[in-house]
Amino acid sequence: MKQTTNILLFAATVLTASLMLSCQPKAYTEDDVFAKETELAELTKDGRLYHLQEFVDSFMTEDGNYMDDSTRYRTRSTIGNGIQMFSIDTLPADGPGIYIMGRVTTDDYGGNYYKALVIQEIVGGKQQNLRLSIDIGSAGGTYQIGQLLLIRCNGLAVGRYANQPQLCVPSYNNNTLAMHADEKVGWTPGRIPAEIFIRNTTLIGTPDVSKLVYEEMTMQQLYERYLKDYDDASLKAASQRHILFEKAREIDGLLVRVTDCHFTGQYSKYGVPDTCTTGDPELDQNANVFAPTTTNLNFPQGRFIADPSESILAIVSTSEYAKYSHYYLPSAITVDSLGVKHFDYAAYSGSVEGILGYYFDKASDQEDATQYSSYKWAITPRDMGDIHFHDAQGNDWVPVEYSKN
Amino acid sequence: MKKLFFLFIATCLTCTWACAQELQAQPQEQSAATAQQPTRLQGRVVIEGSNTPLAGATVTLGVQNISTVSNQTGEFSLTYLEHGDEEIIIEADGFQPAIELINLLPNRLNDLGVISMQQDIAKEAQEEILMNLAETELNDDEGKSQEQGASFSASQDVFNNTTSFAWSNARYRNRGYLQTYEQNYINGLSFNSAERGQFNFSAMGGLNDASRNKDVINNIEANDFTFGGLGKATNYLMNASRFAQGWKVGLAGTNRNYKAAVRATYATGMLPSGWAFVGQLAYRFSPYIDNKGIIGEGIRYNSFGFFFAGEKVWENGNRLNLVVFGAPTERGQSGAVTQEVYDLTGSINYNPYWGYQNGEVRNSRIVHSFDPTAIATFDWKINNDNLLKFGLGYHYSWYSNSALQFFNAPNPAPDYYRNMPSFLWDGQIVAANSDQLYDMKGNNPTGAHYPYGNFIGADLNGYPMGSGHVGNDGQVLGPSIDVNTYNALVNLWQTRDNQATQINWDLLYMSNLANNHNDPSASARYIQERRHNDIHEGIANINYTNTQFRNLKITAGLDARLSQGVHFKTIDDLLGGNQLIDVDPFADRDIKELATNTGLTQEDIKYVRMNDVATDYNTVKHLGDRFGYDYRINMTTARLWAQNEWSFNEVDFYYGLQFTYSSMQRTTDMVNGRAWYQASQIHPAQADLYLGPAAATILAQQQAGTLRAGTRWIGYRHDFVDPAFKLGATYKINGRNRIKINAIAQTTAPLARNAYLSARVHDRVLDNIYTHDRAANLVDYFAASEKSVGGDLTYEFNYPLVRGRITGFFTQFWNGSEMNGYYDDEARTFVNQAISGINHRHMGIEAAAAVKLGSYFTLTGAVNVGDYRYTSNALAVTTAENGMELGRKDGEVLPYFEVRDSVYMNGLHVATGPQISTSLKLSFFYKMWFADLTVSYYDWNYLSVAPSRRMMGLYKGTRTDGTYINGGYYNILVNNEETSAIMTDENGQTVYDAYGTPKLIYPYNIIADQETLTSPNVWNRFLIDASVGKLIYLPKRQSLSINLTVNNITNNTHFKTGGYQQSRLPRQSKQGELVSDGSGNAVSKITPNAWKFPSKYYYAWGVNFYLSLTYKF
Repeated sequence: MKQTTNILLFAATVLTASLMLSCQPKAYTEDDVFAKETELAELTKDGRLYHLQEFVDSFMTEDGNYMDDSTRYRTRSTIGNGIQMFSIDTLPADGPGIYIMGRVTTDDYGGNYYKALVIQEIVGGKQQNLRLSIDIGSAGGTYQIGQLLLIRCNGLAVGRYANQPQLCVPSYNNNTLAMHADEKVGWTPGRIPAEIFIRNTTLIGTPDVSKLVYEEMTMQQLYERYLKDYDDASLKAASQRHILFEKAREIDGLLVRVTDCHFTGQYSKYGVPDTCTTGDPELDQNANVFAPTTTNLNFPQGRFIADPSESILAIVSTSEYAKYSHYYLPSAITVDSLGVKHFDYAAYSGSVEGILGYYFDKASDQEDATQYSSYKWAITPRDMGDIHFHDAQGNDWVPVEYSKN
Repeated sequence: MKKLFFLFIATCLTCTWACAQELQAQPQEQSAATAQQPTRLQGRVVIEGSNTPLAGATVTLGVQNISTVSNQTGEFSLTYLEHGDEEIIIEADGFQPAIELINLLPNRLNDLGVISMQQDIAKEAQEEILMNLAETELNDDEGKSQEQGASFSASQDVFNNTTSFAWSNARYRNRGYLQTYEQNYINGLSFNSAERGQFNFSAMGGLNDASRNKDVINNIEANDFTFGGLGKATNYLMNASRFAQGWKVGLAGTNRNYKAAVRATYATGMLPSGWAFVGQLAYRFSPYIDNKGIIGEGIRYNSFGFFFAGEKVWENGNRLNLVVFGAPTERGQSGAVTQEVYDLTGSINYNPYWGYQNGEVRNSRIVHSFDPTAIATFDWKINNDNLLKFGLGYHYSWYSNSALQFFNAPNPAPDYYRNMPSFLWDGQIVAANSDQLYDMKGNNPTGAHYPYGNFIGADLNGYPMGSGHVGNDGQVLGPSIDVNTYNALVNLWQTRDNQATQINWDLLYMSNLANNHNDPSASARYIQERRHNDIHEGIANINYTNTQFRNLKITAGLDARLSQGVHFKTIDDLLGGNQLIDVDPFADRDIKELATNTGLTQEDIKYVRMNDVATDYNTVKHLGDRFGYDYRINMTTARLWAQNEWSFNEVDFYYGLQFTYSSMQRTTDMVNGRAWYQASQIHPAQADLYLGPAAATILAQQQAGTLRAGTRWIGYRHDFVDPAFKLGATYKINGRNRIKINAIAQTTAPLARNAYLSARVHDRVLDNIYTHDRAANLVDYFAASEKSVGGDLTYEFNYPLVRGRITGFFTQFWNGSEMNGYYDDEARTFVNQAISGINHRHMGIEAAAAVKLGSYFTLTGAVNVGDYRYTSNALAVTTAENGMELGRKDGEVLPYFEVRDSVYMNGLHVATGPQISTSLKLSFFYKMWFADLTVSYYDWNYLSVAPSRRMMGLYKGTRTDGTYINGGYYNILVNNEETSAIMTDENGQTVYDAYGTPKLIYPYNIIADQETLTSPNVWNRFLIDASVGKLIYLPKRQSLSINLTVNNITNNTHFKTGGYQQSRLPRQSKQGELVSDGSGNAVSKITPNAWKFPSKYYYAWGVNFYLSLTYKF
């Protein structure tokens, strides 16, 4: 009897222990974590939801309110006539909520975007786009392409960095040895710290890339619609120049698909097309890959695309930090008997997708009319997947990475 | 090898036997001379209140210095004693010592009668607390953790008895040794892990009754159950007959890692059949702690322990012991963080590893451990003088911990350095010069205050930029910091915002669920992985004891062990993702450099990123699947030892010799792409170093496309032979004073965890390790082993009112090795760093004395003053895990994929806890009331230094192997201009410290200098503990005991117990400038922001308690 009691006592202890074992919290479903568009009114009830262009127009000024304090040493990049390339307008931390909403058009997986998102809103059937400067590496892992974001902008800032409007926070650029440092050192739009951006951002629904709107056009149409003015001598005149820059701010961030084009195997040598080399991209910044080294100057590398007649050129821009930066430009590669590689760029053609942008950061160039050319515009693909090329037989282009062998 | 063993055996036997033959006749002669009855003593030891016999109690005659142990019925006897006044000291673990003063009458039997021992309920609680502390140390399979072994004490030793618990709060380590120098046995079988070198205390978690009986040998001493070593040796005695008959049920409550414990033990005592049985069940529990800022926040704890033992004692003295135990445990972890995090959260209990999921607390780092163990021993009492013990043991230790892993997604760690307010300083710090010696609060050592600290205060042209600010955290900020952004971040931390300061589980799920929508076949962006580090071991030993000679005790043993460490990762939780694609994220990112630097062909490039290059390896992984790596380390150990203990009236001495053979051999079920890359592209002539003896087969099969997944590939076997010799003597000045001296010389093979450069990836080991089949030189067997010589000198005194000891110790270690892994900002990839040639010296004094103050009080003082330092520089071999090049030499085209450099370690302190520890303890005992109060003071505690910050190349521009370090000197890049951080004198000559390391100017010295952890405020160096208890005897041999232990009762939250420098160096690239070595790498320099990547710290817990209630019936 006593032994039975003892056994029962042990068993009771074991049972109690088993029952007390806790388990993992319930896994999430989509409904648990994503807000719904139907909840927008509730989510924005303490303020107002602005369209992207409306937001920029309402809060971004030419000089920026952050520069009011004369003790704040500001960037001095202008193109004259009071047109500032850099500006910061801070938004009130308190008071009514200031909301914007848009769908992410960028993806940093390919490494061509770094700590930046572009969001798109369709208003009246037309694209409105805004850059978001955020201090989040691999942000595309969370803020994926096609994801609709609702952002509370209170406590943040809106400004222009090299004439590109963006949501940001004030940041002091201390690169005193940069080229033209006297124009650049000072307060500029900076990256929003990760935790602040996360705190201010709501993900609405799941991402849907099918809802991204591309403006599809030929090279000719691209030129006519957006680039042509920048080759117009009359508009480059100092008195008219502000028109070009105001237009650039409106167009910046446009999601485009340019059809019927091919790479020319050229790079931009101070604004003039020049033939790429076949050198080692680790050492030769003119090599015929998407983005060879910049000797750590960290500027995106431009490579020209052209229409079939090669009468219209535009630039495709790639960061040297992109995963595909050392892949050869699309071309048919042949090796001769001496082992020398030959590249036929026209052998592959098709469409290029990407974000259209116009970057201008040097006041010292303001009197150089050649600086305001259409070659200042660039299409920045998200990845190699944005280059849909094929040969004359319809065979898809297969990317080839540079190798010493 | 055979010669060595033969020599060993011959030496022992010849020496012992020759001497013994001479002495063998002595007892007979003495017996003949003593015609009359000898002076004898006998008695019986029982547990007070229950009259239960107490087996295993040590009975010592203080004057004559003779001792014996009570048997199963609690009886003891001693013969051939000298008559006269004698002090009888009876001690047993878990009991208060009993002292009896008697006059031994000559030539007769002196009967002490029944001696009742009172339970030491405070010590029971303390041992449970110690065990719990020790369990938490096995956190460091990948990263860092603070080592804390359960340093139990032998009750006879005043120093260890006083300090083992009192100093555990400060993470004191005996003589500054790592836990690998301590040996732990169970019923005579060694259970230190062959791979990690240390004992897994969680195997016995909560089983405090099972682990209560033990023999503890302090450092270098004569030893019955093993040869021993420099550290303590503990033998847990789990014999069923040692447990008092009856029930023991306990409850405990605490605010430590777990909150409640319940345990029950039942022992049959010795049954008429000669069998004894005992069983214990224990359960410890804590729900998830949702209160921020308290001990154990974000942690849950579940541990169930079982222990069963049976023992059969035959009339002839033979014994059979059978033991099984285990403690399946699941517990959350917490991690060290930077001082900024502690300051912002206002708590030393902040834990970065948890967050909320669906409103419930979830910890990302959950340890699962279960180490079921079975032991069988047989004691063959050949006769009264010869005892042979056989032991067999087996255990399978499941040990795994979980961690978040992210792929092309933001770092989920809330305390990631870019998430902290201080990251806004980056780029805003000006260069240091003679008039800007400020800390980040704007103060300099002379008391002057600069309004901006080290921040920019003027614009490009030198004009003041306006006012600085003081952040909401009190931080002085220069005018170039946007105070609103800074304060927004500060406020998130100060208010402990759930999204910003804890793991944001919602965001992790959102990322994966969104990812599923964009590409259902894509790899999850976040997973919770489980890193398994299992080990299973079979152990056998034979111990022989011979006492047939009056003055000589011979012990010898043979231990053998087969071990296998099993290492792999599994997917613990896909966090909403559809699957994981098993490729290496680092290699994936760096593929561009690999292709251009080494000229991989297009066909080959894809293999580098594969974790298994087998043709049929399925990279698509789901819940529970193995991925990443899957390898085993097979280890063999055989140890033969012998020891002679000679005992005479005035002098005792001993000597012992040991030979250890050990081997390790890695096998892998996955051929990693980086291993393949090293073997086929980088070092084709030495492919077998990376892929083992089957390298040619693997490469051929890979090329032919016939390499099959799951094939087990066997690496090279590495052999070691390690001799050890020890000796010691005791000079008995008189019955109350003695002097002891001990010394040891030994070599110790490197642990497997420190031997492989990157065991997850390839088979490559440290340079000087002997590889079976690759070399044949006897010296090679010893080349990689650590060599050590140590000794101690002790004066012991033992008077009725005062007893204690003072010991001086000295140990020198040579050629130690360790392994580090970290993200290198210069190479911008993960690197492994094997450090060898580590020499360090430990010397110091330890002393303690216990003084009786009247009938009720005892005052005990203890002090340890040590100096534990590295005595030379070491050698580091650094390799990138993905095989990137790490350096070049001028004039050489080929890059270096492994670089060698000296590490300036000479003169640094070994970071193993405080090197000054003192305490004063006042104990009270009256009518079964127990109380004590301990005040402890600690000093000379130092931060663990990162070798990566003290490489010679950083100071001199060139590594030991002649390769140039990127960026050259320990130069600081300020506004793209270099300025040297190395201190120079008025003649422009480099200033060196006393150990030959160049000194750096402030504030850059904080990057590399070893920091003291001792608080500048003297009062913060004290910790005060107290305990109180009561033992109540009830009718029918029942008793109830209650004990409350409160540690750190003043709630000192400024006491750092340990910490480490982060390995990452604060670097930045120099714009527009490439290294001149032709590598194409950008020049990289130290940034002026010396505060980037600051050290991480561990703090002693604030006030904490342990309340226990035990009922025996």
